[in-house]
Amino acid sequence: MICVDAVRDVLATINDPEMPISIVDLGIIDGVAAREHEVTIRLLPTFVGCPALEMIRHEIETKVARVPGVKSVDVEVVFDPPWTPDRISEQGRENLRQFGVTTPGPHGPRGPVLVQVGVEGKLACPFCGADAARLESPFGPTRCRMIYYCEACKNQFEHMKRV
Amino acid sequence: MSTIDAADFSPELRQAFVDMVLCGADDDFLIGHADSEWTGLAPILEEDIAVSSIAQDEVAHARELYALAAEFVGRSADDVAYGRTPDEYRCAALCVTPDDFDWSMLIARQFYYDHFDALRLERWKRCAYRPLADLSQRIAAEERFHVHHVDDWIRRLGGSKGDARERIEKALSALWPHAVALFEEPAGEPLVAAKLCPRPPKSMFDTYRKVVGDALSCAGLAVPSGGPDPARLGAGGRRGRHGPQLSTVLEELAEVYRLEPGATW
Repeated sequence: MICVDAVRDVLATINDPEMPISIVDLGIIDGVAAREHEVTIRLLPTFVGCPALEMIRHEIETKVARVPGVKSVDVEVVFDPPWTPDRISEQGRENLRQFGVTTPGPHGPRGPVLVQVGVEGKLACPFCGADAARLESPFGPTRCRMIYYCEACKNQFEHMKRV
Repeated sequence: MSTIDAADFSPELRQAFVDMVLCGADDDFLIGHADSEWTGLAPILEEDIAVSSIAQDEVAHARELYALAAEFVGRSADDVAYGRTPDEYRCAALCVTPDDFDWSMLIARQFYYDHFDALRLERWKRCAYRPLADLSQRIAAEERFHVHHVDDWIRRLGGSKGDARERIEKALSALWPHAVALFEEPAGEPLVAAKLCPRPPKSMFDTYRKVVGDALSCAGLAVPSGGPDPARLGAGGRRGRHGPQLSTVLEELAEVYRLEPGATW
């Protein structure tokens, strides 16, 4: 028999390769099911074109295979339910903020927070807390982040996209 | 919502469904490839990242749509993407029109395509085949960022003077006939009957022209006139009838795959 909690504990040790947040806190694990010696894990991509997905899948397969009783690991990439930033845990949000990445609050507006590049809007800077950010680019270093600039502390920061 | 399983498709329905999915997959694949040519060459760093990200999104959307179609035709997704002859592709001419590295051509092409793609995805979200509905839901959420980005550029270029404005006006009129031809997708009565795609509303092109027209008017740019020509229905890319440009692009795009089809990468 496989202990599902043991599988979950292992998943919580796997970080997103591009941010200091575990894949469990990021909310991309939708379910873990065990049957005899087989484990099936449902994985939700943040973005369809996320190149980190294959790395994450590989790490899950390698690490979960070491859980006692596990003989095969099946990682299913699914789009139902769709991942949204609402799935990020409180701990995950704090980790991202310390890393300089803000997250949209629950049930906020969809799409970019600020539509036009250069226009100011309500978004607290993760470094100084000021409300003086302007959108630098709706595309950033990864598919799920966009770039803002804080006029108060003159730092650039990133914001997770609401999809 | 009622749903249908892959096993319940008749052979005719299967063919019509695969054709419909390939229209979207081939559009995304070819336009994503065209966008990717700009990596390193966009006018400013932020746009280099933007256009490369958009290319990455489009190719990824194509990959998932190919995987979905592949299950119905018994071939691998790579084989569907790279292993067909040009007349088996269903992309519209807009997605393979060369931009000659003119930024206004890239913006005009994305503007016409992204607004069309958004409308198509809204319809696919209601597909009774759940894997396509779920995927379309996800892709539509990502495409909103493309639409915001390109509308922003249309506003900026429309609000500019001299060369920038002249170029975007010229690009928008040059590509308008191709934008119209995006709507030459097969009507697909069997798909409608099986609830795989809602009946195309008669006003679908009118909706498109209104959305595109509103964005252009806001930017102070002229709204192109002219709609689909009934005589041209069935004459274009949606039926596999392409200009020489597609063969040229595919030769380059599929060159490595064709060295050793079926190789594991």
